[in-house]
Amino acid sequence: MDTVIVTGASRGLGNHVAMSLHERGYRVIGVSRSSKGDTPFEVRAADVADAASMSKALGDLKRDKSVYALINAAGIASMNLVITTPPETVTKIINTNLIGTILACQLVAPALIRRGGGRIINFSTLGVPLAIKGEAIYIASKAGVEAFSRTFAREMSPHGVTVNTIAPGPIDTALIEKVPRDKIDAVVSRQIIERQAEPSDVWNIVSLLLSPESSMISGETIHVGGA
Amino acid sequence: MPVGKEEVEKFIVDEVSMLIGDASSQISTATPLIGANRAVDSADLVVLLLAVEDYARDNLGFQWDWTSDSAMSEARSVLRSIGSLAEHLVNQQAR
Repeated sequence: MDTVIVTGASRGLGNHVAMSLHERGYRVIGVSRSSKGDTPFEVRAADVADAASMSKALGDLKRDKSVYALINAAGIASMNLVITTPPETVTKIINTNLIGTILACQLVAPALIRRGGGRIINFSTLGVPLAIKGEAIYIASKAGVEAFSRTFAREMSPHGVTVNTIAPGPIDTALIEKVPRDKIDAVVSRQIIERQAEPSDVWNIVSLLLSPESSMISGETIHVGGA
Repeated sequence: MPVGKEEVEKFIVDEVSMLIGDASSQISTATPLIGANRAVDSADLVVLLLAVEDYARDNLGFQWDWTSDSAMSEARSVLRSIGSLAEHLVNQQAR
């Protein structure tokens, strides 16, 4: 049974993806701040932005050849202007979204290399190409994820590991629960497909990227809804 | 009983020879692992690091951490040659 590690598995898109994987027979190892909660898959508690915490949670998987994929879905956002965002919030967003993604890749890549192939899927946002006002810090962290993923894809290519990024627009999860409706509608109206995506739309892309048929797709950012 | 430097060097030489697939090549302790004259490309270097990590755990008795700010420095990296890597591993073993 193939193992997929999903960060941010306790809620939002990460939880939807983890549940979908579990339902399809994958062994899912979720990573979230707390291992408490009622999930049908294994959850390990870790702070994705803390190297020691992540190493403690996932270190035993370095030589586990059942590990097939890593999905970095952990993320936080803060709708705020740059000049009114507290410095500690800036650090927290960059650390969780960008540093957390890099640390997880560092930890899981050896297992995928030892296996001889696998998949890494990171998450960005349509906000990167759309440059949405009030999300500069969040967008900066995700632009970093895109650049990191594209470059890391080159390093992993000789080992049969693809690295791709999925960039959704606003999806009804906890991440945007405090965002006013008109703001969401304004972003959706700038998508090529002017429909608010569902978690299942994201899952469909995850499913494609996990499939053997995606072996020639790497270093790409896939914009859900188009941008 | 600690593993000697020559034995560690032999392990790395054999691994590098296997990775480049040329048993007749002149791999020695002076062979660079990074830099312009390196014997292995970056992909093979990653595979070598994983093999050395396993070797350190199984034979030298410690968990090797290969991360270093100077990893790609031809002047300072422990990867600048097979000999320097072996020496580093033996020193780590002694700690």
